[in-house]
Amino acid sequence: MNDFINQALLGPLELLGHQVLTVLPNVLAMGIILLGGLFTAWAFGFFVERLFRVIGFDHLCDRLGMNAALLRGGVKTDPSRLVGRSIYWMVIVLASIAALGALNLTPINQFAQSLLAYVPHLVTAAVILLAGYFLSNFASQAVLIAAVNAGLPPARLIAACSRWGLQLLAAAMALEQLGIAQHIVVVGFGITWGGIVLAGAIAFGLGSADLAKGFLERRLVARPKSGTGDDLHHL
Amino acid sequence: MNTGLTPLTAPTEARIDEIGSTDILVGIPSYNNADTVGHVVRAVSVGLAKHFPGHRAVLVNSDGGSSDGTPAIVARTAIDFQHLFIGDQQSILHRIVTPYHGIPGKGSAFRTIFEIARRLKAKACAVVDADLRSISPEWIELLLRPILEEGYDYVAPYYLRHKYDGTITNSIAYPLTRALYGQRIRQPIGGEFGFSGALAAHYLNQHVWESEVARFGIDIWMTTEAIASGARVCQSFLGAKIHNPKDPAADLSAMLLQVVGALFAAMERHEGLWSRQEGSQPVPLFGFPYEVGVEPVHVNVERMVSHYRQGLTDLEPIWRQILADDTFTQLRDLQGAYNTGCRITDELWVQVVYDAAIAYHKQVMPREHLLKALTPLYLGRTASFVHATQGLTSTEAEHKIESLCHTFERMKPYLIERWQPPALQDVAPALLHHTSTDAGGDHE
Repeated sequence: MNDFINQALLGPLELLGHQVLTVLPNVLAMGIILLGGLFTAWAFGFFVERLFRVIGFDHLCDRLGMNAALLRGGVKTDPSRLVGRSIYWMVIVLASIAALGALNLTPINQFAQSLLAYVPHLVTAAVILLAGYFLSNFASQAVLIAAVNAGLPPARLIAACSRWGLQLLAAAMALEQLGIAQHIVVVGFGITWGGIVLAGAIAFGLGSADLAKGFLERRLVARPKSGTGDDLHHL
Repeated sequence: MNTGLTPLTAPTEARIDEIGSTDILVGIPSYNNADTVGHVVRAVSVGLAKHFPGHRAVLVNSDGGSSDGTPAIVARTAIDFQHLFIGDQQSILHRIVTPYHGIPGKGSAFRTIFEIARRLKAKACAVVDADLRSISPEWIELLLRPILEEGYDYVAPYYLRHKYDGTITNSIAYPLTRALYGQRIRQPIGGEFGFSGALAAHYLNQHVWESEVARFGIDIWMTTEAIASGARVCQSFLGAKIHNPKDPAADLSAMLLQVVGALFAAMERHEGLWSRQEGSQPVPLFGFPYEVGVEPVHVNVERMVSHYRQGLTDLEPIWRQILADDTFTQLRDLQGAYNTGCRITDELWVQVVYDAAIAYHKQVMPREHLLKALTPLYLGRTASFVHATQGLTSTEAEHKIESLCHTFERMKPYLIERWQPPALQDVAPALLHHTSTDAGGDHE
């Protein structure tokens, strides 16, 4: 009877106890890492947010049109806080991955490693998107002003094309960085741009033959001043 | 402060060592001016021989890489003094023909001239454009004698020009400089100047040579810097100014960017000076003023109005960022009525210029964008001026410009109020609500 109790009941319980005792330090380590991660995330987020406020990041974003874009997207938080919260959640994710790794379980370890390997791609893609957004805003404003000063009637259309062209390019680069349908993105981008250029060339050649002729004549053939302009000396 | 020496080529260095020192230096910045530079060199040479025969003099040509042989023309242009009744030429006119380094532009050419003046310890200097067709030997006397004999540090030119010639000068540079610094210098971006060797050294020591000053901004910068440094300033009457087109490659928005950018940048540097200045004073004028016929200027008003209207439609979001709400509302209200006689009035134009200066100061957007976005506004104002002065003589048109200047002075508190951050506005309440005593009335 005693043997039965020892083998059938206490044996599994002892084994369970051993297993629990083996895993317990890992669980404790996971808890400590999570707690430490939470504190570090809060500290980093807070520090970065304050730092960005001090260096006038909100003002810079306002000048670049970022605040207006965020408002248009329904985001009412200021950019410094957004960056602070992003840092907070980034540290939380990293701490969670590290905490899962502390359990030392093979499937979880593999998942954590693959997730960790993907993070740089995620960050790079985010940077590309942000840079593309700022660059497209800057470039489209410059194009708009130059087109208006040159007296081109479709100035706003040209500026919008430059904005969306750059944002499309940034999105394609970001998707490529994330490894999502790399070939489809490249091919799609090539087809789209090729189509736009071809359509533009055909439209210009067929619909504006006289304009093209006049443009080339003005460019290539030296002609006397038409007399429709003025000879104002501005300086 | 820029304490380093401006780089010069080895042959130029050798030539400076050979010459040693000089009393007078006349600089001619050039770029593809083969058509006119010979005449300018002759006028300078004769002017120096006729009016300053006892002084050691150097002529410096600072060239931007001309491909039409401009430097060679400067080097070989000869003058027959016998036929000009000049017999007592006592000293040889040395010539230095040199390329300049740095950003391509007139300002960089001037920097090289200033450097050579400093190395040669010149007492008095003058600069004249290489594209002048109306320069005479008397210009050299008028630009240099106030420096050498009257104790002035800076001589600005005073020209007779067609009422539509120099529209940036008339609508922005002159009125704004006058209202800010209180000196009535009629041609602050004239192109021809006289200045002392000490002022040349001061110019050279300023760290501005990578900015718009290196291009067309140099003229307005020299004038404002002269006033701000406390230099004694005067003007010389030079008669009519006739010159080839400034720079065929330069478009209007680039000119505005460089000139207005240099003006606004100077406002930031000298805020303490202009914010205390009230009203304006006449500046002494040397020479013998006379009436002269000027070349007619053809103006295409419809094209200007068309540019302005397109700006009002397409650049609305940008103008809303630059201009105060009230200013933009007034401009928008003009849109419908523009063809039926409505104009950009003096008051509205002053508000536009002051709003733009404030927006530049507060960096509401990239400064290059801000300055270039002013082009349609400037064309709208120029069209208004042309409408308002059609059929008027040059003297009557000059009265209109004088009236605009008064408006700039009268509305200066508008600028000061908005320029300062709110926390500092209580510091100078007396200035904020001051009204100039010589304010004008209705101006359009």
